[in-house]
Amino acid sequence: MSPEVLIGMLAELERIRELTLNLIERETPRLLPTPADEASGTERTVFDLLLGARRAVLGNPAAARGLHDLLVAEGRRYANTPDGARLRDALVASEAVENLRRVWETVSLNVLDGPAAPNAAPDAWAELLADAVIGHGLGDSILARLRPEGFA
Amino acid sequence: MTLTDPREALADQSSFIDYLVGLAGLARVVHTLAADSDRRSGPPRDPDDFVHVLLGFASLGGAIEGLANPAVAQVHSTGEAPPGSAVRRWLR
Repeated sequence: MSPEVLIGMLAELERIRELTLNLIERETPRLLPTPADEASGTERTVFDLLLGARRAVLGNPAAARGLHDLLVAEGRRYANTPDGARLRDALVASEAVENLRRVWETVSLNVLDGPAAPNAAPDAWAELLADAVIGHGLGDSILARLRPEGFA
Repeated sequence: MTLTDPREALADQSSFIDYLVGLAGLARVVHTLAADSDRRSGPPRDPDDFVHVLLGFASLGGAIEGLANPAVAQVHSTGEAPPGSAVRRWLR
């Protein structure tokens, strides 16, 4: 198989991935809420920013987890220095950090936490999407066409 | 733009510096959060991954500001000033 064919396969897989994510987003509007009608200016900008962060995480879970792990490792290394330890203690005691944590957990739906195989999407990401799809799901009419007769 | 189809002005279109400035800006936000005058109530908690992510941004931002100001650059891990020649070589 030539390199060109392999790259073409990768490009096609990426296209399929995008299409699948688009389908999931359409079928699970809770993951992709629409902004309030009266939202404008700063409020709309913040909404778009947060939604963009959620799409980036949900759409690229393995990459997001990799970046998350890199930042955590760098943060732990920095915390072992005197400056880092002082900053760590100040962050832990800050109410503003608590507020930011709530924002992040709401946006990311905690899909980056918990176990994950190396270079793979975290388990929590798959569980969230499974819950979203099963709960409000890809309609039975779609799945029924894919299910062989007699298959439970 | 591919390896076999280079464009001369690519460097002019690079957003690499904007990327570094954005990271440095995030690091300053982390310091602002730490300096918040409202202290958290309740029992003290151990720093978790979220706090370490913020520390990671702060560390990267400090390193970037060190690149921009090599004379005052500080190396977090050792607390020693880096060799000046090594820093200047990066800036070339």
